[in-house]
Amino acid sequence: MIPTLLVYGLVNSVILALYALGFSLTYGISGLANFAHGALYILSGFAAWNLIHHMGIPLLPAALLSVALTGMLGFVFYWVLLLRIRGIALAELVVTFSAGVAILEILTWQGFYGIRYSLPVFLRGGIEVGGVAVDYQRLLVLGTGVVLVILLWLFVHHTRIGLAFRAMAQNERTALSVGIESDWVGSLSLAMGAALAAVAALVVLPLGVMESTIGYEVLIYALAVAIVGGLESTVGMILGSFLIGFGQVAAARFIGAKWMVIVPLAAIVVVLAVRPSGILGRFKELEERV
Amino acid sequence: MKRKACRAGVVFLALLALIVAVSPMEAGASSKEPIVLGVPTSLYTPFGRDGLKAVKLAVEEINAGGGVLVGGQRRPLEVVVADTRGGEPGTPVHDALMAYEKLITEKKPHAIVIGAFRSEVLIASMDLVAKYRIPQLGTIAQTPRFQAKIKKDPEKYKYLFRVTTDALVDASYINRTLDKLKNDFGMNRIYFIYQDTLWAKAFSGLMSKHCKAQGWTQLGFDGYAAGATDFSPALTNAKAGKAQVIGMVWDVPLGAGVFVKQYVAMKVPALLIGFIPPMASPMAVKTVGPEVEYSLSVEFPVGASLPLKKLPKTVEFLNKFKQKYGSLPEAAAVNSSAYDAVFILAEAIERAGSLDPDKLVVELEKTDYRGVSGRIRFNEQHVAVFGHEDPNETGVCVVFQWQKGADGTLRRVPVYPDFLAEGKILLPPWMK
Repeated sequence: MIPTLLVYGLVNSVILALYALGFSLTYGISGLANFAHGALYILSGFAAWNLIHHMGIPLLPAALLSVALTGMLGFVFYWVLLLRIRGIALAELVVTFSAGVAILEILTWQGFYGIRYSLPVFLRGGIEVGGVAVDYQRLLVLGTGVVLVILLWLFVHHTRIGLAFRAMAQNERTALSVGIESDWVGSLSLAMGAALAAVAALVVLPLGVMESTIGYEVLIYALAVAIVGGLESTVGMILGSFLIGFGQVAAARFIGAKWMVIVPLAAIVVVLAVRPSGILGRFKELEERV
Repeated sequence: MKRKACRAGVVFLALLALIVAVSPMEAGASSKEPIVLGVPTSLYTPFGRDGLKAVKLAVEEINAGGGVLVGGQRRPLEVVVADTRGGEPGTPVHDALMAYEKLITEKKPHAIVIGAFRSEVLIASMDLVAKYRIPQLGTIAQTPRFQAKIKKDPEKYKYLFRVTTDALVDASYINRTLDKLKNDFGMNRIYFIYQDTLWAKAFSGLMSKHCKAQGWTQLGFDGYAAGATDFSPALTNAKAGKAQVIGMVWDVPLGAGVFVKQYVAMKVPALLIGFIPPMASPMAVKTVGPEVEYSLSVEFPVGASLPLKKLPKTVEFLNKFKQKYGSLPEAAAVNSSAYDAVFILAEAIERAGSLDPDKLVVELEKTDYRGVSGRIRFNEQHVAVFGHEDPNETGVCVVFQWQKGADGTLRRVPVYPDFLAEGKILLPPWMK
């Protein structure tokens, strides 16, 4: 039982981290909580499905194209929907949430629900890890999670745009004073967050069937992970996903399977009550001290 | 002056003639006033969407035949729809009920067909339907609590009927198939996984009870929330416990899809049996992959998605469906019931000669209809009677298994009941 708990706890944790990575990145850089994140996630899945089934494009190019399109959509989102309300947190929340709901409802209206939509796995079959059968797709999920985190670290520490991202995250006004254009960086952060949501979708969605309602679920999980770990902290986000991921598998094992879905919600409640900034977050740290 | 009076007289007479001429036309138009069928259900689910398509197909056929005879005049049927979203995980019962009531109060349907998707919504909506006195022929929600509630107050809930099976019937078909697995192949170790909702709990509970009584070893009985996305704990337990069979009952596509793919991925050497929409659907091979082979599913009732050679009405209905909508229904459940429900209602209206709900209820109680799903008659609790023996006596279901044909393609082969069987249950090579 323990090996299964470890293997699938790890897989679940990385899935959660993938859900939250793009959301956390955008928020960490531009302070923008993109509540359309879940919608962009499932939209990219259906985009890939359409590219494969209606345009006959092979899986890998379809996946790459879907990531690029979703990233561009995130970029356009910023300039069309968010530019004029930038900095007004409540308005940003309302606009991104509304855009997300609109995307999901249009997908539903267009018939993207039921049991017919399923993305193919990149590689069929699997192996045993410590006596636990795991399919290659889940291993790909693990690999993608690790590679993305490493690439992101390299990106924000060793590229000009990445450094601009960090400058914005640390202090927007100071960043402006040294010539970093905040709208440009903001839109890039949203594009990158959206592209990361698409990458997550393309490796995670083949594990099941696709429905537009998955968008809501992904948003809730991304929020849970970000709130637990700390909204602006990437390390906190990873920590949050491991807490919730392993917590779910442990809950199923020791309390009962139906309690799995309660874990992220319970984690949010506990963290907000005990440490509102999240485990590694610092936004409200001063208030908490006071 | 006279000329003016004459002109006024002519105008008056012309107006009078117009009124007289128009009156019969108006009477004619009112005689063509449609009979409104309300469909408040979860439209963006395969069950709701395809059920509505089946209803529209039936309505089209009836209207093409001139409509329904009410009080000596033929009136067309008209369908009005409300999406309750009751089948989507996370939709509160209260929200679904609001949509239900909105349809009733705004569209004023003479009767309701299909009705609630989720059993929890059905139970809550019963009071609503009783309050507005609208005959309802439900065809999706499967909880046995429906009849228990009617039994408590038959007068209040007399407007409610169920045209399809309930979880008790579905489970009885799986139970008989489990008996076959035990008797023919000596299987006796089972693990249950179910969606933690009323009907699925009742369904799997009956399977569990039956297995215990028949000497099976039950290795687990795990309920998962409808939104679950990881089944590794239960699948690991099933594998570790050397389960030969996994009994699974789930209707929300998302969780069911994750489950079947995870079952395949974890290489659990156990036969799947129960009701798992992605495994049972005509498009299962495309959605899940070739691993659907050997899985066993119940289709309730017959004609929902699988054309049966021995029941020509199922072939006829599904051909019409495919011709009109381009493909077979997606879910292996309840579509034929939705189709039958419209004809049952139309016949009851004609017998009653009225749309008065109380008169309609009396006639609905007398229903004896031979439809796609078999012979439909209602018991005292207004539930359609289903059996295992003869479609000329009761409604029937079918259990099928995905098997490879001679040409290598996978197809759904009916294996139970015997009078519908087109093949025998096959064991996968890794179980022999």
